[in-house]
Amino acid sequence: MLSRPLRLAALLAPLLSLSWLPANAGEGTFGWVYTLDLQPKGTLEFEQRLQVNQGQARGHYDLWQARTELEYGVSEDFQVAGYLNTSRVSANQNYGDGSTSGWLVPSSAGSSPYSRTRLDGVSLEGIWRFTNPVIDPVGVGFYLEATTGAVKDELESRLLLQSNFLDDRLVVAANLQLSAEKVKFNAPDIGKESMADLLLGVSYRVANNWTAGMEYRFHNDFEGYAFNKQTQRAHFIGPNMHYATKDWWVTAAWRYQLKGQSQCWAPGEAECSNGRVWDSHSRNEVMFKFGRPL
Amino acid sequence: MNWTPASALLMLPMAALVAPTLAHARINIGTEEAQQRLFPGQKFTPSPVFLTEVQRDKMRELSSVREPFKSERVWRSANGGWFIIDEVLGKHEMVKYALAILPNGSIKGIEVMEYVESYGYEVADDAWRQQFVGKTIDAPLKLKQDIQNLSGATLSCKHLTDGVKRLMVMYELALKNAK
Repeated sequence: MLSRPLRLAALLAPLLSLSWLPANAGEGTFGWVYTLDLQPKGTLEFEQRLQVNQGQARGHYDLWQARTELEYGVSEDFQVAGYLNTSRVSANQNYGDGSTSGWLVPSSAGSSPYSRTRLDGVSLEGIWRFTNPVIDPVGVGFYLEATTGAVKDELESRLLLQSNFLDDRLVVAANLQLSAEKVKFNAPDIGKESMADLLLGVSYRVANNWTAGMEYRFHNDFEGYAFNKQTQRAHFIGPNMHYATKDWWVTAAWRYQLKGQSQCWAPGEAECSNGRVWDSHSRNEVMFKFGRPL
Repeated sequence: MNWTPASALLMLPMAALVAPTLAHARINIGTEEAQQRLFPGQKFTPSPVFLTEVQRDKMRELSSVREPFKSERVWRSANGGWFIIDEVLGKHEMVKYALAILPNGSIKGIEVMEYVESYGYEVADDAWRQQFVGKTIDAPLKLKQDIQNLSGATLSCKHLTDGVKRLMVMYELALKNAK
């Protein structure tokens, strides 16, 4: 088994391999909410994301998910991006029934400690902007992302809405997200799932280079690709902070799963306890994002 | 590892690893240089303007710019023109620019004095700035109406256009009939 520093290095390897690049990107003001701030035509940006989910019903559950991304502005209102997705999971008896379970933990783990670092797969995304919130009262866009790899195959879509106020100091954004995924990490068992989320965000420019805000997520998981039967519902809320200069930017965000507001249905009660849902979720979720124009 | 805010901070060195970057361009022009670009050979006299609350409200209403105007940044040229420096919001920093108004009330030109952003340096190009030349208070001075946008610099284009509109309103209200 790799030592902790080596495991961390493996997780961040995609980032380090690209760190020589002189960077620029569509800037991620929020942790999870997408805005309509796209890459200008003909420009490229490098972006590294790292999400850390920690804490489930009991025991321990740490999930680190890294996404290394290149974004390119194809036209003024269309950008594409490619991702390399990696992860590290470490869990032990983290569900309420004492089992070692959750996202990226195979059922063969039983109630034993489990950890694994892996290359999850790759993603391609496109964002189309129909109206620009800097000029129009409401900015409207569409986001489509396809993911494939050892962990899952997924098609994710988002309706992006954004309005700016107070000389563009105040940004209000909403994403309606619909996705379908074929979950493969527990092979030979294959999961057919779908998800419908609403993400809301507000961000204010508190000083030059700095914005601060809040984000909310209303999450709904379903069995089947077509939202056949609901399995989970949860609410998350938390703050974000963003700093940007002309050469790089960084965003940090935290969201907390509200207790007592979550519900589980099928497939198992263990995925829901103490008023919260688990699986890929945790009590605390933290996002770090770093971007550099190239 | 138990979650604590401190453990999250451990990831900050990640940013430091990749922080060194190639320096991108920046625009930084001094007041005298901007004056000579807009009114070559002219001499200037500082002419601070006193604005009433009613005038400031009118400037905000007609331009939508909320940033306070620094009224000491006004000069009069020897030929009776006006040279005004103002700032508007850029993507990350303030964009500092100068507006030159001829004695007949038409725009002689604008000059971008400070611009420190990732993209959009084309706002300082002649081609974009020339759109303002010759316009008066009667022009819409509105992005995507009589001023064309630049890809990748929409926010700066909008705020600069609104800023010029604000200064033209100020000229009409407070400078036009000044002795």
